[in-house]
Order: sequence, then structure tokens, then C-alpha cells
Amino acid sequence: MAAPSPARSFLGTMGLVFLAIAAIFAADMFLARMERAESHVEAARLFRQGRDSMLRGENAEAIERIKGAISIERGNRDYLRTLAQAQLAAGKTADAESTLEELLQSDSTDGLASLIMGRVLVKEGRFAEAISYFHRAVYGQWDAAAAANRLRARFELIDLLAQRNSKEELLAELLPVQDRASRDLKTQIRLGRLYLLAGSPPRAAVVFRGILRDSPANADVYAGLGEAEFAQSNYRTAQRDFQTALRLAPDDQATRQSLDRCNELLMLDPALRGLSREEYFRRSRKLVELTLGEASQCAGRNPSPELQGLLDQAAKALKAPVSAGRQGEAAESNLDLAERLWQARRKECAAPPATDSPLALVLARIAQ
Amino acid sequence: MDNNGRPPWIARLSGSLERLRQSEDQLALVLSVVIGALVSLVVVAFILLTGRLAARMYPAGGAGWRRILVPTLGSLSTGYLLWRYFPFARGSGIPQTKYALFINDGRIRFRTVFGKFFCCSASLASGISLGREGPSVQVGAGIASVVGRSLGLEAKQVKALVPAACAAALAAAFNTPIAAVLFTLEEIMGDLHAEVLGSVVLSSATSWMVLHLVLGDEPLFHVAGYRLVHPVEFGVYAVLGVVGGLGSVCFVKLLLGIRARFMRLPKWTVWFQPAVGGLAVGLMGYFVPEVLGVGYNQVEKVLNGDIVLKLVVLLAVLKIVATAVCYGTGNAGGIFGPSLFIGSMMGAAVGGVAHALFPAHTAGPGAYALVGMGTAFAGIVRTPMTSVIMIFEMTRDYTIIVPLMISNMIAYFISLKLQKEPIYEALAQQDGVHLPTRHSRAEAERAQVRQAMRPPPAVLSPDQRVASALRQVEDGGFDAWPVVGAKELWGMIRTSELERAAAGGGSNKKIADILGHRPPAGHPTTEEFPHLHTDHSLSLALERMGASGLNVLPVVSRANLRQLMGIVALSDVLGVYGVARRGGDPERSE
Repeated sequence: MAAPSPARSFLGTMGLVFLAIAAIFAADMFLARMERAESHVEAARLFRQGRDSMLRGENAEAIERIKGAISIERGNRDYLRTLAQAQLAAGKTADAESTLEELLQSDSTDGLASLIMGRVLVKEGRFAEAISYFHRAVYGQWDAAAAANRLRARFELIDLLAQRNSKEELLAELLPVQDRASRDLKTQIRLGRLYLLAGSPPRAAVVFRGILRDSPANADVYAGLGEAEFAQSNYRTAQRDFQTALRLAPDDQATRQSLDRCNELLMLDPALRGLSREEYFRRSRKLVELTLGEASQCAGRNPSPELQGLLDQAAKALKAPVSAGRQGEAAESNLDLAERLWQARRKECAAPPATDSPLALVLARIAQ
Repeated sequence: MDNNGRPPWIARLSGSLERLRQSEDQLALVLSVVIGALVSLVVVAFILLTGRLAARMYPAGGAGWRRILVPTLGSLSTGYLLWRYFPFARGSGIPQTKYALFINDGRIRFRTVFGKFFCCSASLASGISLGREGPSVQVGAGIASVVGRSLGLEAKQVKALVPAACAAALAAAFNTPIAAVLFTLEEIMGDLHAEVLGSVVLSSATSWMVLHLVLGDEPLFHVAGYRLVHPVEFGVYAVLGVVGGLGSVCFVKLLLGIRARFMRLPKWTVWFQPAVGGLAVGLMGYFVPEVLGVGYNQVEKVLNGDIVLKLVVLLAVLKIVATAVCYGTGNAGGIFGPSLFIGSMMGAAVGGVAHALFPAHTAGPGAYALVGMGTAFAGIVRTPMTSVIMIFEMTRDYTIIVPLMISNMIAYFISLKLQKEPIYEALAQQDGVHLPTRHSRAEAERAQVRQAMRPPPAVLSPDQRVASALRQVEDGGFDAWPVVGAKELWGMIRTSELERAAAGGGSNKKIADILGHRPPAGHPTTEEFPHLHTDHSLSLALERMGASGLNVLPVVSRANLRQLMGIVALSDVLGVYGVARRGGDPERSE
């Protein structure tokens, strides 16, 4: 048998080599697909374990498991976000921040990652940055239930602003929420309360009245409405609302305190309609007496000549006998004196007066 | 149909291939691509298969006894197969590839490739503490050898294909195409300027592309971005270089020592020697499972700063022992992977201590683990350039390069100082094979013309008469003499030419007439004008003497080929190598 020519042998061998390449390529693709499938299952198993550990509060274990899952399925954003949550729960805020930075670098619009980052930064006391991330969460992309998640993010931001007493920002966040928020009782009461915190009692009152249409016998709503009316200086209405709230929930100590404060204010307020001249005068003297006490207490032993002059004037006014015919004129004079004394006290005393005390509220109302 | 009864397209294809076969350069390039693709696919199959096998041998939540039994049985069975059927598939694969390249004209048998592939896969999957990269290189080289010989290539063509395959294998195993090229040139060929550079680059690039096609674009390790925190860190990286260098020397000496002891045992024990390594690593793995296998998962954890200081120190020590025992007892597997593991643990340990002491001035331990990998690689394998590029490619993190270079070079020099032979050369010597080493090549290159050069004993003038010249060079002992006119070297005139002219009645002829030309302008070639420069190697001097048939050559300036600086005679060259010619040099003996 003749030996094959070199050319034919060359051609045949090259053919075999290409055949081998095709066969091994197919085998590799099969093996790689199998590997990926098995890796996916293994990663999902570890992730499940990690999430369960997290739910049980075993955060260190959760972190281990989720990291294991991530090392197998590296690009999985769900795993990374959950890892960040576990790290946050474990108090490892720096680790959580680093995990989230990686996520946000690849997609800065990731809503959930931004929300978790906001929480991490709140925990680190970096509030300005946290607020920025909450905004990114509100306007970012969400995999599912985008509207609900955005609302949740906004409420977290609102809670932060409420804690920080940032009234203007809080109001700005509350306004868009009002129409989108759930109509359930709890959410609506929360919204009303938040309006109160944001310094917008009329809006709070509208919300509470709106609730009363559907739930007319809710003590919390009446208490909230009372606060809203009180903040708008509608003390009699507030008193009625507090009383109703207490009728519905007699053990509510907070409402009782509010009612007491309201009652005290109503007993002190000389501007109420329908007061007799004697009562008007009595209240004006009471105001001078209370203001004098406050000012004397905070001024100490060496008040300024101006304050001292007013203190002397007040003491004199309290001692001076007033005939029934001059009570109206004397009441006006007392109120003027009380207001001046209050202003002088505010100027001179280091400790500011409590702005929500009945005395301060009444004097503020008189000044208006 | 053509005359042989073939369809026209086959005839055309056959003709094209035949033309390709005739053109050596084109064939080399085409085969580089083909071999690159083939080797890459085989290496990917090797890695995936090993991973699948390992997953079967160690299922999640498996019992602890598996960690003793599996490596012991794995190494016992593969040890028997290696002894009985595949004796050339033992060990790492790098020295074996070099034997094939430098001793056997690139010849590796298919049986060896087959044995290496399956025995290594089984052995590594069973948890033996060795790496997959060295074996991949031997498998790749073997494939190139088998394909090249099957194609009917000449030995030198097969030899040229082997380095290309090595680069392809390493590029696929480590996902580091540039480092693969460098390693092939630096370690396998021992010459960064080797002629096969083009094929090596092409093959490595093809391999990398195929790897990405199959497995996607994933670096071997995912690392958080690290940077230099404070200049004081350079000091810590220097300390890491020292620790890495010392650790590397300990590892190499331990491995060579254990191997030497096992090689002295009776021959009949060879088949079960690997089981000793398997049992040892199994016992370690029973208590510390992280020791088993190549351990890249652990490396990745450490690189990301996920460490406990005591554990990394323990792992560094155990891995040194485990790898040394596994390799020394004759298991099939490489030391690349373990080097990276050991280095990362040493780095994390140094970084962990430094970070605890100077938290504000140092990066986390992960950064040091990263640099430690390169440091140990430079110390153990002694390829500092490769290690720098490899770490960069593995992690794609550029910021750590400068500390890495510092640390690498320190480790390299410590290793060079304390362990004379690089590991692969020492392993070859234990096998009784003396490969050309980088050191020996460097030594050869170090002997230069300037060491053998001397002033010309006699200089002839172009206007000098032949008779006068003959008198001048009488008993000079050289074949030729420099002819210099107007401070310009015209060339060399042979004594035989002068004698022939005198015998022909031309005693009164001028030398210029015999030379027949004036010094030509431009750039004469070496053939037209045999010459040397002071920085040429003596081996080149010998080559040029051989080519020109002269036992003396002029040494000229690189800036001006016509400026004679001296001469080099054959006796001078031999003298530098300590080989004096019998009777000595007539000029010098006078």
C-alpha cells in the first residue's frame, strides 16, 4: 500500500485538528453551561440560607452565606443589596457602604441600593448625604412595585426630616405624598401628625377632618385634630376635640395633658370673646403676675435698669387698687405692661421661654 | 474532478494548504492561531472537568472523613497510573516541557498529554494541594508537539510551536494573555527576545479570545480597588518583600528536600509515594479544610480583606508544607497556584499586623495579600516581570503596581541570594537533566569583545608595497591584518593574499591595488566588511570568525565603522575562556 502524499496527510491532519476544535468547543460549552447552572443553584441555596439567617437576626452568619453566594454569582444585584442590608443590620456600616458603592457605581439609578445607602448614612450620622440618597431612591429605578417602593422611600425621608425638625423640607416632601399615600387610617393619621410637625396645622386639620368622615369615633384623630386647632389658636375648638378624644379613650395621658394645657390657656386668655370686664381685668392681672414671676426668676439679682424698671412697674401695678370703673383701662395697661416685660425678659434672659407654654402662647396672641 | 478523482474545491483547498506548507513563516502564523484555539479549548475543558469532579468528590455538607479519604485514594490511584502508564506526566509540567523543548526537539508523546490531562484532573479534584497551570502548560505543549509532528513539520518547526502552545495554555489557565507571553519568554525560553515572539503573542491572544468566548470576561480574582494610603506603606511593602522572599526560599528548599528524600527511596515504592502526599494533605485538610485543593476561593476572600489573622498565618504555613509534600512525593500538579495562595496569605498576615499597628497609614490586609501573591511568585518561580504583569492582569488593578514592583524585587533578590538555583532548574537537576539556564546564558553574554580586545600589533598602509608588508607581518601568526589609510580602516588583508601577490611577481604592488577599492561610503554589511564592536559577545565573535574564515577581526566604533579600536584574535577569545592554545600566541609570547 502506497504511503499517503505529504499534502494529503497535511490536509487530513488539519481537517482532524479543526474537527477536534469543533468537538472540544461543543464539550466546553456543554460543561460551561452545566457549571453555570449548578453554580446558580448553589448560589441561590446560599442566598436563601443567608436571608433566613438575617430574618433570625443572625447577621454574621447571613453575611457569610450571602458572600458565598456572591462569590459564585458575582453580578447578582439582589445578592449584593441583601448583603448590604445584612451588613447594616450587623452594624458594619463601612462594609455596607463599600458594597453599595460598588452597586451604585455600576447603576446609579438603583432605587433600593440608594435607599439602603440612605439608611447606612443615617446610621453614620451623615444626614445631608443620606437625604440626597433618599431622594435618589425616590426618583430611582425599582425592579418591582415601583410606586409603593418610592412612597416607602419618601416616608423614610420624611421620618428623617421630622427627626431633624427640618420643617420646610418636611412640608415639601409631604405635599406630593398626600394624594398618593394609602387611604388607610394609620397612614392618614401619620400624615396628619407629620403636617403638624411640618408646621402646617391647617393641612393637618384637613387630613384629620377627612378621616373623621370615614371613622367618626377615633380618639387619635380627635386628638390630632385638637392639636391642629390648638396650633391655629382655635382653643375652644381644640378643647372640644380633646374632650371628645378623652371620652373615646379616657386613659390617653398625652391627650389629657393637651387638654389641661388647653384649659389653662383658655383660663388665661384675655382675648376670648364674651368675657366680663371683671374677668378681663382679672386675667390681665394674672398675666402680669405670671410674667413678673418668669422675668424675676430668670433675671436673677442684677437685672438691667430697663428690666428692673419694668419689674418695679409690674409689682406696683399688682399692688395698686383699681376701681370697677377703671378696670377696662387698667386691664389694657396691664396687658401692655405684661407684653413689654415679656419682651425684656426674652432679651435679657439666657434661657429662652418655653414657646408652647400657655403664658407664651397667650402673650404671643396678644402681640399679634 | 481532478486527476486524483477529487472534487474541485478539495483540490483547490489542498493546493492552498500545500502552498501554505511550503511557506514556513505563513505556516507558523496560521498554526499559532490554530494551536492557540485548540490549546485554549483543551485547557478550559481541563479546568471545567476538574471543577465538576471536585464538586462530585466534595458535595456540599459532606462528611469530614471524605477530606482524608478522597485525597489519599485520589493520589494513590493517579500515582499508580502515572507510574504504570504515564511516567512523563508526573510533577508540574514546566520542567518536562523544557526537557521536551531543549532535549527532545519539542517531542512530547500523545500518551503523556492524555495522562497529564486525566491524572492531573483527578488528582487536583481530589484535593491535592497543587495547581493546574503547570500541567496546562505541558498539556498545551504536548498538543502542539503532536499536531506539529502529525502535520509532518520539521523538528525546528515543532520546536517553534511548543512555546506558542505554552503561552496559549497559560493565557487560558490564568486568563492573563500578556503574562503568559512574558512567562513563556522569561522562563520557558529564557530569552525575552526569542525569535518565536510573534507566534507566542498570536497564540496567547487567540487563546484568550477563545477563553472569553466560552467562559466570558471574568478575571481570575475579583478585588476591591486598592491604593497607596500613605508613603509610609512603601516600608511595609518592603517588609512584605523580605517576608515573601524568606517564605519563598523556605518553600523551595522544603520542596526540593522532600523530593530528594523520596527520590532516594527504592524504585518499587514510586507508585504509592504520591499517596503519602495525599494522606498528609488529607490529615491537614481534616482540621483545616482550606488547605485542600488549589484554594483560589480562599485567595479571593483574603484579597477582599475577609480574614482572621491567625488563620492566614496558619494557612500560609500549612500550604507551604502541604504543597511541598504533595509535589515532593510525585503527585501531578503545579506550583503556580500554591505560590499565589502562599503569597496572598503571607501578604494578608503582614498587612493585618501593619493595619493593626498603623490603621490610619496603611491599607487593609487585602491590598497586601494582592501584592503578596506577586511577591511569592517572584520569589518561588523567579520571574519578576511576569509576576508583576500577571497580578495586574488577574486583578485588573493598576494602582498597586508600584508597591508590587518594590516588594517583588526584594523577594526576588532574597530568593536569588539564599537559593542559588531557581526551582525549575533545581528540579531538572534532581532529575539529572541540565537545561540551559538564564544564569548560564547571562554568563555567556557577559563575556564580551572588550575583554579579549587588544591594540593591533601591526597596521598596514594602503600605499605600502607588498614586499614591505610581508616583512612587517612575518611571523605575526594572524591570517589577516588591518589596512588603515588616513585614519580610516580600509579593511583586512589576508596574509595569503599578500603571499599570492608576491609569488605572482607583484612584490612592488601597493596593498590598495590588491584590495581593489577605497573604503566605501555608506553602511557595508558584516559579510562585506567582517568586524566586531566592543560590546559584542565573544560567542558572536567566534561566529563571525567562522563565517569570514579569519582568525582575527577588527574591533570598530559603533559610531564610525572605519574607526579601528583594536583587534580580537581567536587566541584572545580562547584565553578569556581559560583555554590557551598549544604553543601560545606568537604575538604575546614574544
